[in-house]
Amino acid sequence: MVAKRTMTLNLTDAEMRVLDELSVRKDITKTAVLRQALRLYQTIDARVDKGEKLLFENEATKEKAELMLL
Amino acid sequence: MTTDVSTIYLLDVATGGSIEAELRDAIEQAQLDDWQVKWQPALLAVLQDLARNGVPMSQWPQSWHWNWAQKTAQVQGLLAFRGFSVVACGETQGLAQVDLRKAGREPSQVGKPLVYLDYLEVAPWNRPELGPAPRMRGVGSALITAAVALSVDEGFKGRLGLHSLPQADAFYRKIGMTDLGQDSAYQNLSYFEMTVEQARAFLEEE
Repeated sequence: MVAKRTMTLNLTDAEMRVLDELSVRKDITKTAVLRQALRLYQTIDARVDKGEKLLFENEATKEKAELMLL
Repeated sequence: MTTDVSTIYLLDVATGGSIEAELRDAIEQAQLDDWQVKWQPALLAVLQDLARNGVPMSQWPQSWHWNWAQKTAQVQGLLAFRGFSVVACGETQGLAQVDLRKAGREPSQVGKPLVYLDYLEVAPWNRPELGPAPRMRGVGSALITAAVALSVDEGFKGRLGLHSLPQADAFYRKIGMTDLGQDSAYQNLSYFEMTVEQARAFLEEE
């Protein structure tokens, strides 16, 4: 098991509510939600850095929308 | 990051005894060197035999073209990917790479994060389909156990998903995974999932 460190996180009520909802919906702890978010953000950031775009496609209409990352 | 090493035991097929092995939570240069210098020549010899005997390519080991050096380099530094290796008798006996970004498809766990087993390969000399007798058994199971244990450790409760090469379908059914059928979006390979309950039963058995 990889050693982990502890940190305090300051979130607004709205952010905390979203974290709670995701934790329930995804059946993982709030820590796991944040770790998952970090993995996804790093993955996307690395691909955008390489010049790739992040697109969402509607399966029914095949309509594509680009998600802009700042 | 330091590599976590735990002791596991494999079956020595020749003697029926056990062999002490290391389960490492990384794929490092030593394992890639083994893959290049030991696995590749052994696999090449098998492939030459198959070609000489006129065995059609459809019956060749389906992972023959996998390049572990490339696979490892592509995910270097990314948190979403983790590797495992099994080392025994001074040689790498098996390798696995997992992806932590995928979600479940099985009705009871749709959309819930799981550990997706991207690649799992056992050294050619341990594969019963590639020679008269494998040297060691238990390498594949040890790597699957590591992936399920990672899923538990990550808070995914043991959920595991994978696309199986046809030659491995029976193995994944045997360890209790649910076969969700062929995936047209993934070379028509069968997609398997382990639910929370199946993972619990699997870990109790191991």
